[in-house]
Amino acid sequence: MAALQKSVSSSLMGTLAAGCLLLIVLWVQGGTSVPITSNCRLDESDFQQPYIINRTFMLAEEASFADNNTDVRLIGDKLFRGVHVKKHCYLMKQVLNFTLEEVLLPYSDRFQPYMQEVVPFLVRLSGQLNQCHIMGNDQQVQRKVQQLKDTVKMLGESGEIKAIGELNLLFIALKNACI
Amino acid sequence: MVPKHCFLGFLIGFVLTGGGEPQPAHESMNPLRVQFQSRNFHNVLHWQPGRAPSNHSRIYFVQYKKYGQKEWKNKAECWETQELFCDLTDETSDLRELYYGRVRMASAGNYSGWSMTRRFTPWWATNIDPPVINVTQHNGSVLVVLHAPDFPYRHQKGTNVTVENYYDLVYRVFLINNSLEKEQNIYEGAGRVVEIGALMPHSGYCIVAEIYQPMLGRSSQRSEEICVKIP
Repeated sequence: MAALQKSVSSSLMGTLAAGCLLLIVLWVQGGTSVPITSNCRLDESDFQQPYIINRTFMLAEEASFADNNTDVRLIGDKLFRGVHVKKHCYLMKQVLNFTLEEVLLPYSDRFQPYMQEVVPFLVRLSGQLNQCHIMGNDQQVQRKVQQLKDTVKMLGESGEIKAIGELNLLFIALKNACI
Repeated sequence: MVPKHCFLGFLIGFVLTGGGEPQPAHESMNPLRVQFQSRNFHNVLHWQPGRAPSNHSRIYFVQYKKYGQKEWKNKAECWETQELFCDLTDETSDLRELYYGRVRMASAGNYSGWSMTRRFTPWWATNIDPPVINVTQHNGSVLVVLHAPDFPYRHQKGTNVTVENYYDLVYRVFLINNSLEKEQNIYEGAGRVVEIGALMPHSGYCIVAEIYQPMLGRSSQRSEEICVKIP
């Protein structure tokens, strides 16, 4: 029995030592393999709900009919250019929160009945990303988000309509960035 | 300097989009109901003629672009065409992208304005045909081989992306027991060969399949039903 206990405790010690060693190795490597974001994850099941996906796409489609500006796009390659792929989910969290607070809530009585179904869904995703943080410098992400906000503000009401018309792109970008 | 650049840009844009014609656009001649019709990810632009003097021929010019791009591209094969459609499958092959198409008409030396489609999302808009099934039986079991419709993407050697994965599609196979009049979904997946075993001897079964888009919860129509009698 004593021998068994000893072997258990020694294997525990071994695990601890290995763990310490791993930490040291990571630290020595200059933190390159340390994650630069934390809790930036969504469940795959969030993106496997045909009903709400269809509603989101119908809402986007409805709004896009009212968007005559085909040259300007909020969510596309440009938004992600120069941003590390590990920061994409954090970036999309910012875009999602902006869209909810500054665009969808003020328009919540329009584009019914889709709006009343899609908003709670996006609020839930936003809640799941509540604890999504970035370690260290997030200036670059903030700059990208600010550019998007500025574009929406500059276009005025048609910028907000454009943002609603891109909810399908927001959805796909969240899926690609956060799963 | 800046205004000069703008002017140059305007000139270039004008030449590219307008063919440099001096006449103002005749809005009443604009092509009507310009829209993408998409079947199995083959995306074809369709339109109807605008108003023009009846004894003159009408020719059309087609352009396309991705949503967010500034410049329109000419579709060479549909430049000065007399058809009322234009296949833009290759130009709109990025599934998750959003596209626009537009058409203008010329007749009797006059040009119409451009008529544009709504924003087009291929994977959301396309209609998928049912699969074709082949059924063979041996030793009391039935082998179902599924054939996808003719999609533009072909599975390439050396890549591990199949047509089914590329388009995010699965097959659903249903087994109908004739004597019980009961239907059972016996397979859902991206595999093209399905073996159905444990069938009751001296019974009749019918097999039918469809293509399902899991993310959209959408199904194609059903395939032709094939019936077998188990000896």
